[in-house]
Amino acid sequence: MFSNSLAFKTPRTRNHKIPVRGQKDFIPTGSDQQRDRLQQSLGEHWNLVSEWRGCEWNLVKAVWIPSDMIVELQSPAGKFWQTMGFSDHGKQCLHPEEALYLMECGNLQLFYQDLPLSIQEGYERFLYSKTMSIQHYQVFGHLKRLGYVVNRFDPSSVPSQYERQLNLPQSQDRSGRLPKRKRSHSPTSRIEEEKDCNREEEDKNPDSLPDLSAPDIDKIQTASHVDPTTSTEGGQGRSWWSKKGSRLPGQPQSSPRWDFSSIPFPDLGSRCWLPSSLTSPDPCLLPGAVGSVGACDVAPWLQRLNLREVRMSRREWERERDRDRYRRDINQDREVRRCRNWAEYQELQERRIQRSRRDRPAHLWEGPVTPLHDPAQVTSTGELLDKISVIKSTRLLEGESSLKGSEEWRICFNIYQPDTVAEFKKSAPGKPYSRMCVCSFDGPVPDLWTLKLLAFQSGDVPVTYAVLDHGDISFYSFKDFQIPTDVSF
Amino acid sequence: MDSPEQKITKTVSRVDASKESMANSRQVIGINFCGPTPLMWRADDLKSVRELGIIGTLVGSLARQPRQNTRLGRPLELLPEEGRLMADMGRAAVIPDSTNEDPEVNPEQVEQYHAGLENSFQEQGALALEDRKTTLMRVITEKHNENSGSQEDSDGAVRDRLEALAHGFSFPRTAMAVQLCTARAGLSHCPEVRRFLAADWPIPRDERSETRFRVFRDLRRQGFYLTSAGKFGGDYLVYPGDPLRFHAYFIVVCISMDESMPLCDVLAIARLGSNVKKTVLLCSSGGSQEDDGEEVVYTSLQWSGMV
Repeated sequence: MFSNSLAFKTPRTRNHKIPVRGQKDFIPTGSDQQRDRLQQSLGEHWNLVSEWRGCEWNLVKAVWIPSDMIVELQSPAGKFWQTMGFSDHGKQCLHPEEALYLMECGNLQLFYQDLPLSIQEGYERFLYSKTMSIQHYQVFGHLKRLGYVVNRFDPSSVPSQYERQLNLPQSQDRSGRLPKRKRSHSPTSRIEEEKDCNREEEDKNPDSLPDLSAPDIDKIQTASHVDPTTSTEGGQGRSWWSKKGSRLPGQPQSSPRWDFSSIPFPDLGSRCWLPSSLTSPDPCLLPGAVGSVGACDVAPWLQRLNLREVRMSRREWERERDRDRYRRDINQDREVRRCRNWAEYQELQERRIQRSRRDRPAHLWEGPVTPLHDPAQVTSTGELLDKISVIKSTRLLEGESSLKGSEEWRICFNIYQPDTVAEFKKSAPGKPYSRMCVCSFDGPVPDLWTLKLLAFQSGDVPVTYAVLDHGDISFYSFKDFQIPTDVSF
Repeated sequence: MDSPEQKITKTVSRVDASKESMANSRQVIGINFCGPTPLMWRADDLKSVRELGIIGTLVGSLARQPRQNTRLGRPLELLPEEGRLMADMGRAAVIPDSTNEDPEVNPEQVEQYHAGLENSFQEQGALALEDRKTTLMRVITEKHNENSGSQEDSDGAVRDRLEALAHGFSFPRTAMAVQLCTARAGLSHCPEVRRFLAADWPIPRDERSETRFRVFRDLRRQGFYLTSAGKFGGDYLVYPGDPLRFHAYFIVVCISMDESMPLCDVLAIARLGSNVKKTVLLCSSGGSQEDDGEEVVYTSLQWSGMV
């Protein structure tokens, strides 16, 4: 029970040790010894459970705002601000689950209508929605008590597959979407910043297209098979750098920067190319600070090129010959050379396929069911095995495009490891250690479709499933594993 | 833990227990729902409920050490079957949720709260001063014992120092300690009022919950203690005595009487049981919807070895 006589001493001097539970017995014998030990254990148990929670009076104070479902701090935040909370219009705010956790730790006093809230009231007021139910809070609390940094998952913060391939630098605070009527992660202006970041790759030189003066163009003798392509400058010959003369500053950035049809790439390795230097590029094509670059002397670079003939050993030469036995250079084919355009080439292909088909036995190939493979066609063992396989193995992230969202299953939290807490920055948290989905033993087991959906939503971060059982939590995760195939292609 | 304290706790708890058991027979325990989950918040309720054989699971942070997971604190989460059993016995009632009625700021209550804070502050300040005085006295008497000076001088000196302390002492507001309530204060803690406030226990709609409940009730009647067993692949863990002191005997899996269980599932659960050294109990209830009277059928699976 709370009493002032105890209160002024604690929390500094309170006994923080928890009594250790002893060994359990297997058979109840009804003996006095067992009963006494039980009483003692129970006694300790009730002592711990009924202890009062205290904090210092001048601790961080906050106010609950039900309309936004957030908690607004009234006094400056403490150490917890490094990993929890967010700023909204200059005020420090917390999500309800974060505030509840801090209350349980005795680090925060929460007020509503000028009266302090008890923890029970916190549970009843904050934990009734589908986004943050008592189950979610139990998982949240469990992980926070272990030391992990846990925050809410925002689907828009996961970079797409393409962005990951490009290895784009992550923009600051990508959770820029302002959901209606709910708490915001950051102001609206962030959305524009995000879009700009995405365009960055294409858009190196947005508004600074200066004079469109013709660059110095020296005549360069290039190899004979490169045809002179369209030149907008009245046939002055090709240059290493093409001019972006047709682009005006105000135009929308839809066309690609480089006009590849007019850029010849000099074949420095070719033996018949003997210029001494490459001309200087147009300064408007270079990044702003570089300015103009002089002509490039090619000779030292040519020295670095290995222009010697390849000398293969006999074994290598034989291997090459065997490989080339089946390789036909399509350009050597006379019929192909006669084709003047792509349509004619396709017709030729059709004719050839038809011709080869004429040799096939009709009873096999004319019916509704045809053989899987034509022996006359060249194929490898691997492809054949693929054709006769009944089940195809799949990777977890395959077929993402056909997955639609699910009402039942969703990722709730991002988890970061405890040892990163010292350097953790809320504005640039980095890649989470894992993402959490909360479910229960009473509900359905996640099927393959769900696993794929959540793995896809999470990107390259593994998903962990926290399964609740009336207060007990177990964690499961599924790993993608590829069975090795034993066939050389 | 020194032994004199232990002995005192023991005798006190015995005395209390007898008093409490008399009080409990009339007391109705309040259960609060947080969504679909039944919770209990008051420490006294937790105690009385344990005497009925209801264990539950603690799911909150422990007040003494909030940042660990080995021992948790209030609230106590109940199994739906536990709550329903208590409601059927008339020992518990659901307290309806009153958070959605949002009254205006209640100035009386706010005034009371601030007055209480002021009171605490004064009391704590006085206690702090007393504490300092006793420390000072102890220090002075120690020093006095060391150097044996003249009696009169030291008395006068002591009085002066005490006075100086009283004048110069200040107990800043920031040093005051305040209680963070776990359970909500208010009407719901009065047992008599609970009967009036009580709402109905939500009745489950499906066969599985019904089977689970009947199995629970039957095992409880036989004196066993039950907790949840999701981690062991079953519905309940059955203990011969209080789970604090005894290991579990059985893992209960509730299945419907008519349902046929594939052999692989039977093998899987049997292997699991043998790995954790517990007997698996397959339980089904009579099947029909009438209450009381139909029996629960038990089948135990135990690995006996090869012959």
